[in-house]
Amino acid sequence: MKNALAAEWLKLRTVRAPHGIVLAIGLILLFGASISFLIVRDYDTSPAAEQAKFASADSSVVITPVVQFLVAALGALVATSDPRLTALTAVPDRKRLLVAKTALVAATSAVLGAAALAVSTGVSWWIAGDRPPPIAPWEGLGDVLPWAGAAVLSILVTGLTGLGIGLAVRSTAVTVVVVGVLLWGLPAITPMLPDPWNVDASAVMVPYLVWEVAGVVEDAPLAPLAATAVLVLYALVTMGAGTATLLRRDA
Amino acid sequence: MIEVRNLTKRYGGTTAVDDLSFTVRPGRVTGFLGPNGAGKSTTMRMILGLDRPTGGEALVGGKRYADLGQPLRHVGALLDPAAVHHGRKALDHLRWIAASNGIPRRRAVELLEQVGLGGVRHKRIRALSLGMKQRLGVAAALLGDPRVLMFDEPVNGLDPEGVRWIRDLMRSLANEGRTVFVSSHLMSEMALTADHVVIVARGQLVKETPMEALTRNGSLEDAYLELTSGRGL
Repeated sequence: MKNALAAEWLKLRTVRAPHGIVLAIGLILLFGASISFLIVRDYDTSPAAEQAKFASADSSVVITPVVQFLVAALGALVATSDPRLTALTAVPDRKRLLVAKTALVAATSAVLGAAALAVSTGVSWWIAGDRPPPIAPWEGLGDVLPWAGAAVLSILVTGLTGLGIGLAVRSTAVTVVVVGVLLWGLPAITPMLPDPWNVDASAVMVPYLVWEVAGVVEDAPLAPLAATAVLVLYALVTMGAGTATLLRRDA
Repeated sequence: MIEVRNLTKRYGGTTAVDDLSFTVRPGRVTGFLGPNGAGKSTTMRMILGLDRPTGGEALVGGKRYADLGQPLRHVGALLDPAAVHHGRKALDHLRWIAASNGIPRRRAVELLEQVGLGGVRHKRIRALSLGMKQRLGVAAALLGDPRVLMFDEPVNGLDPEGVRWIRDLMRSLANEGRTVFVSSHLMSEMALTADHVVIVARGQLVKETPMEALTRNGSLEDAYLELTSGRGL
């Protein structure tokens, strides 16, 4: 297993695309920090009555969906970028190959997610300084941790979702499109459904699940535990499909 | 040694390989001949566990390929030189394959020198010529210093120098006592390289014989065409 994991790690870091993904995450963090900075600057020059209407300077809300998508693309790359013929000749034990890929994507997604959330929340907090709510995103660490934890979990899940879909469909392009539909397309459509389907369907979309998992939405359709289960189900279902394809189909 | 026993592969209603049995022994180059679509590549893929047989089995050194611990130390294969990530550098390509089987990194460097690619080790594979990619594939096959080697149409697209290089390499590997199994539909090339031939058509064994016996009364091409006439696709 150690050899298979070392090979997967070497494969990942010896092509350009993953470096591009890490760079894109860095750029989106910079973009998020800029937004926080502009909001706070606007806040400082606004009258007191206007200041009370400001949203918080939390940039992690902006960057999380983008990081989810980028990490899912990384999962897709791990699944599809190397021809299966070569990969399976080197590691013919398909279960071992699957575990190595899964471990790599899970670890990379978790590390990238945790780093992105640590930077975005930390910078937002620093930019807001000692200003009062609503511009200050959180009053203490106890406020930020549930949200950050839920966001990191969602990033881990989307990484594995990208891997699972990639293993199942064996195409990077198709995987990225499917992930885009799951993360952005469907959540944009579900609010337009007739009542109460709009609420029920939206409640199980990834962007809303993050809030529900964090337990920061009053009267949320799903309790944090149920929301966590639904979120994890995304990874389980797609990884199940990917596993079945890898283990059963010819290379 | 490679043992193919009653190997069968069906895709829906189409039978690609039909109850095929033969043995590839060490110390000689065994040519695997047959018309296009005869099932040569499918057979090789099943030997490597890439495709699952509908029936029968293929063993390398008495074991299924998937059951070999660190398989590249037992079997080296070049099935498709294009089956690589073209954005990766030549040395990195060999490094990950070596890492997957616990083979030291220095072996990748040595082999690139050995196949004449030392000067392009830091070039991305997309920048290499077809002949260089073929050599890179050969280097990957030799990484684990295996006793069994399999090549599928190894001289396709090569210039005369490359053809001779592959031929000499296969001969020298066989002379070292290794099992060398090579598929081709180029009769002239096989006549110069192989000691023994396995001929298939429509997925079935047509003939398994020493080259000498086949060419006693004429050219390999004549003998091959006589054996396979009417058995093409």
